[in-house]
Amino acid sequence: MTDPSSWLPDTAPGATPLERVFGLRPDLYDPFRDFYSLFWTRGLLDPVVLELCRLRVAQLVGNESEQRVRYRPALDAGLDEDQVAALRSWPHAAAFTDAQRAALSFAEQFVIDPHGIDNELRDQVADHFTVPGLVALCEVLALFEGFCRFRTILDVPAPPSVTIVAGPMPDAALT
Amino acid sequence: MSTSRHPLRGDVLGEQPEAMAAFWRLYGLLWSHGTVDQSIKEIARLRNARTTDCAYCRNVRFAGARDDGLTEDRVALIEDGYETSTLTEREKAVIRYVDTFLHDPAGLTDTQRAELLEHFTPGQLVELTAGVALFLGFSKIAVALGPPPGMPTLVVPTPDWAPGEAQP
Repeated sequence: MTDPSSWLPDTAPGATPLERVFGLRPDLYDPFRDFYSLFWTRGLLDPVVLELCRLRVAQLVGNESEQRVRYRPALDAGLDEDQVAALRSWPHAAAFTDAQRAALSFAEQFVIDPHGIDNELRDQVADHFTVPGLVALCEVLALFEGFCRFRTILDVPAPPSVTIVAGPMPDAALT
Repeated sequence: MSTSRHPLRGDVLGEQPEAMAAFWRLYGLLWSHGTVDQSIKEIARLRNARTTDCAYCRNVRFAGARDDGLTEDRVALIEDGYETSTLTEREKAVIRYVDTFLHDPAGLTDTQRAELLEHFTPGQLVELTAGVALFLGFSKIAVALGPPPGMPTLVVPTPDWAPGEAQP
């Protein structure tokens, strides 16, 4: 089967565009999903912080697909569209807590130039989230950026409009 | 540089053992049970390491890629002049792909797509792309959490994973 928007000449069966592309390698897709979902299912970070960082990374990378998805756990934890709308101007917006600002500041520097991350920036994150939280943030940012680029370069299509999905799985865009 | 209020231990990723185990499972399967040659993945990893300027990633060599023929002489070709080097066309296509992934992932050209499909199956391209995603992300972690200074070139076992196996 060929997905209409992917440049790969064949794709796997699947309910979503990412399943049809990444699903060509279920031996890798399954452990990827297990890894990715841990950050939500095991509560490694606040779901709102995860969502804000995921969306900000998607903005910086320029991936429309990720930007059109909202994970239900983040909405249940208090994320609203006013925050999402303010995300591009978060340094000047009143919609964010100090903890969210620390995470967003770290996320931006991680994507733009991780060499600019210094003790002060690490400490700001650890003050709010502890050192294990800082590590979790680094790991999930690595996934957010890497797989935003994966979606972009392989042309994994975006949902037609903002879509709320039940779980944190990256393949849930069109479910 | 200011002193940190939260000094990080040497194995800082161990602060999240469950996530680390999940990462090693994915990474080990990709490296040792994939269908793309280890030397090809190593070229992609080292090209990213060079661009991201990750001291740790630049100085590590996976033994499986070395066994696959990626000697230090060939590693030295993964530089600015790679296009005119003795690297194969397949290897050069991978370097171009990694550069596009890192600098402008929306800018992959039709020529590049056709070239990649000459050398790799769709499933192999998914593997290669997932690999580059992980190489980028985890090299940035190494940078963000502070790389070891002055690290020498070091050949280490290729990541592997089997059910019940502990992480390295």
